Amino acid sequence: MSGPVPGRRSWRPGAGPVTHLSLLRAYLGPQRASVVVMIVLLVLSILLEIAEPRIVAHFIESVQLGRPESALVAIALLFLGVAAFRQVGRVIAAYASERVSWTATNAAREDLAAHVLDLDLSFHESRSPGELIERIDGDVNQVAEFFSSLIVHLVGSVLLVIGILTALTFLDWRIGLTFAAVTLVGLYGLAKVAAVATVKWEDDREQSARFFGYVSESVRATEDLRSSAATGHALARFHRHLRAWLPVKVRAEGWGSAIWVVLSLVFTACMAFAFGYGGIFYRNGTISFSGVYLVVAYATMLTTPIEVLRLQVQNLQQAGAAIRRIAELFGHRSTVVDGTEPLPRGALSVRFEHVGFGYSTDGAEREKVVEGLSFDVAPGETLGLVGRTGAGKSTVAHLLSRMYDPVEGRVLLGGVDVREATLTSLRSQVGLVTQDVQVFDASLRDNLTFFDTTVDDDRLLAIMDELELRPWLATLPDGLSSRISPSTLSAGQAQLLALARVFLKDPGLIILDEPSSKLDLVTEAMLERALDRMLAGRTAIVIAHRLDTILRADRVLVLDRGAVVESGATSDLLGDPGSRLAELHRIGQVLR
Amino acid sequence: MSRTTTRARSTKDRAAKDRAAIPPTLAFLWRLITYSPWRYLLAAAGWVVFHLWPLLPGVLGKLLFDVLEGRAAPGTTVWTVVAIIVAGGLARCTAIIGATVAWAGWYLRARGLVQRNLLDRVFKLPGAQAMPKTVGESISTVRDDSDAIALMGGWGFDMLAGIIFAVGGLAILLTVDVTITVIVMVPLAVVLALAQFARARAYRVREQSREATARVTGTIGEIVVAVRAIKAADKKDEVVERLRGDNRVRKTAMIRDKVQSLAIDSVFNSTASLGAGLVLLVAAGQMRSGDFTTGDFVLFATYLMQVAEYTYFMGYLVRTYQQSGVSFVRAADLLQGAPPMTLVDHHPLHLKAEPPPADPLPVVEPLRELEVRSLTHVFPGSGRGVRDVSLTIRPGTVTVVTGEVGSGKTTLLRGVLGLYSVQDGEIRWNGERVDDPGDFMVPPRVAYTPQNPTLLSGTIRENVLLGLPDDGRVDRAVHTAVLGPDLERLDDGLETEIGVRGVRLSGGQVQRTAAARMFAREPSLLVMDDLSSALDVETEQELWRRIFATSTTCLAVSHRPAVLERADQVLLLKDGRVIAAGPLADLLESSADMRMHYRTPTA
Repeated sequence: MSGPVPGRRSWRPGAGPVTHLSLLRAYLGPQRASVVVMIVLLVLSILLEIAEPRIVAHFIESVQLGRPESALVAIALLFLGVAAFRQVGRVIAAYASERVSWTATNAAREDLAAHVLDLDLSFHESRSPGELIERIDGDVNQVAEFFSSLIVHLVGSVLLVIGILTALTFLDWRIGLTFAAVTLVGLYGLAKVAAVATVKWEDDREQSARFFGYVSESVRATEDLRSSAATGHALARFHRHLRAWLPVKVRAEGWGSAIWVVLSLVFTACMAFAFGYGGIFYRNGTISFSGVYLVVAYATMLTTPIEVLRLQVQNLQQAGAAIRRIAELFGHRSTVVDGTEPLPRGALSVRFEHVGFGYSTDGAEREKVVEGLSFDVAPGETLGLVGRTGAGKSTVAHLLSRMYDPVEGRVLLGGVDVREATLTSLRSQVGLVTQDVQVFDASLRDNLTFFDTTVDDDRLLAIMDELELRPWLATLPDGLSSRISPSTLSAGQAQLLALARVFLKDPGLIILDEPSSKLDLVTEAMLERALDRMLAGRTAIVIAHRLDTILRADRVLVLDRGAVVESGATSDLLGDPGSRLAELHRIGQVLR
Repeated sequence: MSRTTTRARSTKDRAAKDRAAIPPTLAFLWRLITYSPWRYLLAAAGWVVFHLWPLLPGVLGKLLFDVLEGRAAPGTTVWTVVAIIVAGGLARCTAIIGATVAWAGWYLRARGLVQRNLLDRVFKLPGAQAMPKTVGESISTVRDDSDAIALMGGWGFDMLAGIIFAVGGLAILLTVDVTITVIVMVPLAVVLALAQFARARAYRVREQSREATARVTGTIGEIVVAVRAIKAADKKDEVVERLRGDNRVRKTAMIRDKVQSLAIDSVFNSTASLGAGLVLLVAAGQMRSGDFTTGDFVLFATYLMQVAEYTYFMGYLVRTYQQSGVSFVRAADLLQGAPPMTLVDHHPLHLKAEPPPADPLPVVEPLRELEVRSLTHVFPGSGRGVRDVSLTIRPGTVTVVTGEVGSGKTTLLRGVLGLYSVQDGEIRWNGERVDDPGDFMVPPRVAYTPQNPTLLSGTIRENVLLGLPDDGRVDRAVHTAVLGPDLERLDDGLETEIGVRGVRLSGGQVQRTAAARMFAREPSLLVMDDLSSALDVETEQELWRRIFATSTTCLAVSHRPAVLERADQVLLLKDGRVIAAGPLADLLESSADMRMHYRTPTA
């Protein structure tokens, strides 16, 4: 079920540097046939478009030659047939291009998602989820747009302009040359004006973002503003923002309209030259009466593709930037490398040997959050971790589950350095329960198994029984298939869901980051009983916030600024009024 | 059956009533136009010229062929045609620039006015209920609906120009040949109407593709948020497989959607060619006889090119009108009770000069006694809130509200501050009944620090003052709020830019900046909601020490033993009711709940 879908090549980094071209080749290569069909249809429809005025010219000639009405009707029918066929061809070409585009970009989306999941947590910590969604979805969508409409429009418009200019040159080379010049000057002018307009629009967007940033924060702060008697001040700031925006907006709109001005000038020039050349060349006999019609008709046709070209070149640049960003994302490599040695089954011993670690954000200096950390946990033992926020408790959890690797020292599980252990065995042997439980907007079954379809329902039901979740399950409309979402689960239910996920793995080491928020008493009791069962026969490291949980631990480790400041049997430490644990307890850092 | 009909009818009735309550869109529009009438007129004139210009090339094309065939009026030459088109083109360019600049000025004023009026109203309502919908929806009303409303201004002259264009174009064609015009235009109109209808019906497929897209985006969102959990569970392949399934559904939906809309579009695009072909077919006989000239054909062909665009344009105008109607309703909703026309009330926008400074805080008589009698505020739905709470606060005393999570502490404070509309009970200030606590319980009488304060982007000084004159009050307030050491550590001290909603400050700094904002108002009564939530123990103790040193009257939510011990009265809340009140020592003796809640350090 995993791995690439048959019939398409999965593209992964590692096969040489990631470039524009390698991306295009990887995703478009398998669809060569569709691409060819698309291009043939496109060219055909453009040729027909250029042929249309020619047919009308033929009609006019036939009128002048006094051909019978039946011949004229035949020509008119031919014209209608060509026009209809051209539209059908366009729709088929568009269909082909959409298919190519979505097949390619869906593959890119899947590969990017898999790639991102391979990257280590230091990559993820330096990027917001929003940014990654923008890469995997937003940028890829832009590329999809590039494949589907952009190619059709861009290539189509270029071909159409060339076709029209060629047709005009056939009438008279001077006409062809003149219109080629008008096209080039027009495109140049448009590009210049658009460049300035883009900058002005950028300014406008920035100003607008600032304006609405203010509006939104002041609406959010309504209560604070009101209770500070500062709504007048807030309104004055609104006026100031609006005043700053006005000149920027007027400039942006003005330059934006300059694009229309240039297009109007191009169109005016086309018409003026068409009328002028048509009239003069007809008078001196260079072209026929129907030739005049052709000049006017082609000149009218010329402005549309020029406008489309201007728009699409801009889109092309945006799509280029999107492709660059995608390639860059593919270029990232994970620093966590898979090992070769499988971890032993059963309860695991844990050993930290002089471990040092600091989070780095993309090459920035690492500040140590853990330094010279050493401790041991015997198989089957429960260790409580206590300390203020930032003491390094979650770092211990991250290092054990290999979200990161230590910078100094070693972390051993069952006697094996985690860096040498296979990631598969490590992840199945280490169960991590975090404070914030990820609930997917999916069925309860998928939420328990993480979309693994090989787990059978009997096992899931057995676990639900063990966690006393059967009564809850009975209230759901479709049992295990019921759709659940983050908003429909209470904090306590989410915690129980997280425990169920870990149960499913049957790990030898459990790391539990206890929720610091308050749960209701019934759920708390359920959690307690679930923990009793879960911790039996397993090694456990519990990041504790409540007294009850600390009492469950055989030993407690008090951390401060990444180092052990106190350790010992739980009962001894709590009994000693001079101990750190007792102090934390007193000032309320441990329990509420 | 009868039930559904009744419900349908009542919804319909309500909708009809809503519509009746809201003046017609054109009434709003008229008020907006008159806010800056000259700009509007200039823009309208320019855009009408812009929209009517496409009539010119057709007429000139016909004129050219008439000249060449010798049918034109004497004295008209090829150069006349060229000169008119050049002059027309230049006139159009001038119109574009003038109209755009005038329009931009009018648009921003009209939109700004609507936004100003919305904000003004939102700021005036009791805070917690200023917004009938979520904050996000309200913000989007201020942002997007104001835009739709202001864009209606453009709708006015677009519609005008559109109608002149259609009537003018049709009149010109009819003067050329009535029969051909009717024979060509009627089938085209039918085809276009059908296509327009199909486009309107296409929403179902559009809806499907939008849903499929939302599903894919949702799945990707879940994946990137749950990276750690997915790694820990080692289920990468399974999760990507799920994305693949969503992708497949979306691909099918998207292709169907795109091809459908392209097919409909191609009907529009083909009107020019098909129309021209139709003219050739119908006019073949008349062209042979010379009754229908090449010039006439050129005129028809040129106008037929405009038909599709025109139909599209009219469809757009109709949609804009409908959308703006919806926007007016949404905006009027946000006004909550104020007459809908206040949305477009004329007010100065201060676009030329600095707005006048806000009014200074009024001088009021000091607090002698605050009395709250049987205050009740229950949230509909959950049934949580406070019921029948009474308390009396005298000057210089400290009142502490305590109790478990969800017992109604914050609701009580907000009820006293008038941040909810009063459900039951009354508030008396110095013996006099307060009619509108939301307007009355504000500085300089009362100031408040909420549990999660919201700051504005700008400097710390600006956030503390919020428009008050700085007469040394900032330094005093900052001192009381124990912000001094933090300011020393920040590069720019009081002038530090704190970012949107104070993101550049820590939670504790945000809370103390809000506290400083409260102190700077030098109120008779300080109201504080759980200052401890983001502060470390030492800082909080120092903060309380300094507050008590000012001997200002305090009403606070807190669990801290030190604060409870200092309190003149403690109110213990449970399930929204006061279950015990009095000095801490008395409560510890009389109330088992208080003893449970207040764990002595040697538990």
